Amino acid sequence: MTRSRARARRAAGTGAPLLAIPPALIGVAFLLLPTLALLVRTRWSDLRQIYSSREVWPALRLSLESSIEATIISLILGVPLAWMLARVRAPGMGVVRAIVTIPLVLPPVIGGVALFQAFGRNGLLGHPIHSVFGQDLPFTYPAIVVAQAFVAMPFLVITVEGAFRISDQDVEEAAATLGASRTRIFTHVTIPLVLPAIVAGSVLCWARALGEFGATLLFGGNVTGITQTLPTDVLTVFQTHPEDAPALSLPLMAVALIVLVALRDKWLRSAASS
Amino acid sequence: MSLTIEGAVRLGEFELDIAVRAEPGEVVAVLGPNGAGKTTALRVAAGLLSLDSGRVQIGEDVLDAPGVYVPPQQRRVGVVFQDHRLFPHLRVVDNVAFGLRSRGVRAAPARAAAREWLARVGLADLAGRRPAQLSGGQAQRVALARALASQPAALLLDEPLAALDVQTRAEIQGELRQHLADYDGPTLLVTHDPIEALLLASRIVVLEGGRVAQEGTAAQIAGFPRTPYVARLVGVNLYTGTALHGVVELDGGGVLVASDVIDGRVLVALRPSAFTVHTELPAHSSARNVWACRVTSLAPLGDRIRLTAQGDQSVLVDLTPLAVAELELAPGRDVWLAAKATDVTAYPSP
Repeated sequence: MTRSRARARRAAGTGAPLLAIPPALIGVAFLLLPTLALLVRTRWSDLRQIYSSREVWPALRLSLESSIEATIISLILGVPLAWMLARVRAPGMGVVRAIVTIPLVLPPVIGGVALFQAFGRNGLLGHPIHSVFGQDLPFTYPAIVVAQAFVAMPFLVITVEGAFRISDQDVEEAAATLGASRTRIFTHVTIPLVLPAIVAGSVLCWARALGEFGATLLFGGNVTGITQTLPTDVLTVFQTHPEDAPALSLPLMAVALIVLVALRDKWLRSAASS
Repeated sequence: MSLTIEGAVRLGEFELDIAVRAEPGEVVAVLGPNGAGKTTALRVAAGLLSLDSGRVQIGEDVLDAPGVYVPPQQRRVGVVFQDHRLFPHLRVVDNVAFGLRSRGVRAAPARAAAREWLARVGLADLAGRRPAQLSGGQAQRVALARALASQPAALLLDEPLAALDVQTRAEIQGELRQHLADYDGPTLLVTHDPIEALLLASRIVVLEGGRVAQEGTAAQIAGFPRTPYVARLVGVNLYTGTALHGVVELDGGGVLVASDVIDGRVLVALRPSAFTVHTELPAHSSARNVWACRVTSLAPLGDRIRLTAQGDQSVLVDLTPLAVAELELAPGRDVWLAAKATDVTAYPSP
């Protein structure tokens, strides 16, 4: 009783101005309504039929596979890169950090164009590859993975870099006095200490890769069964049978929701608070 | 194999210039105030910092010298850090086994050895815990077991008890003394606590401002302090002056008669209990030294009262509470302090 009275008194004196409440509520509604509309407008009874006729399963499978592979590439390249950004004291590190953030600020579709200039048949690196191996990267499955990794890796790098920066280097010294080589210190001490951030970063990276659209469409194309991921499939269906598009969006939404709920408590929070 | 550190290293404005040697089985304490360079010295010995000049040696092995630098991994020194620095993601047993595993011992024998060491420090039943589940004292025991488990050629302890509460500190102190006695290599113990140095070490090196201020056994240091810091540590009055036939003209004023016949620049030490306090100028006294002073403060010290007084020199005097009451001593009171020449120790200034 005393407590609620105290709270009421505080609300009258120093609480949020009442004027702020209507826009806040409109904000919530604005964020919720499209998702709600998606669920309401999905033709639930025809779900099975829509999924089989609109190539959902091959596209979903391709999406899952390519996004997981893009995440693995991001881990292999991104964790050492994050470590370098956090720990190596050398001139030019600021420039490297800026380079890492390029895909974050670049519109993904421009990223696709850029990937073409690099890895396309006449690209900076694509041309020599083509003349030596006779292989082209664009519009192939690997192109999908490359496009997703390009766009998603910065999420991993930035998350993990922060963890490396604040992680305890004193225990690394202790490991050195115990005879652990630099490599052993990195694999047995440094990495385990930042594992929560690596998991969180991987999830962010994977979610971004899974939803990747612009760069994937430009660089990978949209060939059913070969380079058509679920997001690009949604585009195709939306152009031809818009009434089926909501149903196609469900798997991606479900995946996003599962990730959010499953990892919220354990990893994302501890990474955010550490 | 003995441990020798002899050389200099500069860190920004600070320079450490040190010469310390610990024989096999000997515990040498590096004692000094904060910022004296104690931890820097330990880091030099561990190889976490390299000397600018000089050398570090264990036995015949040169670890650090001009053109030579052996990294910590290859030095085989065991380090116990003040904040224990256990690996938070490893179980206690794997923490202790880490050194052996890093040096190529297989998992099973390394764990077996680790369990043995845990038993020695009395923590056999905590092998499966994580460091976060340990108390401060337990963590420090694990850290000691971890350092000793890989059978180091030298042991380095950085304020091993400083992070513990008083009760735990007393417990661990006794245990640590035993473990150090069992260890047959040289041990360097860094501490700011004179009691710890006294209890655990056979020899003490006092470090001040990056330099060795004094070195010797506890008795040598307590009896003949060389610097005001050491005098404060061991709780004696220390003055500098110039002696002629046993009469010392003190720097800053005043005269002391010593029983030691000595000439030249001297240090003069007087225990606080050597003084008698008088509220009038003592007549017909056998004391050869009488100073007029004013009481500046009184504070309890064990079962005594420690009085500080200021005359030509600042003086610490220990009295019984009864004497303080009978003489009605209080800050601001003018007193005469008397001391016998036989209680005055004069020795050459370095």
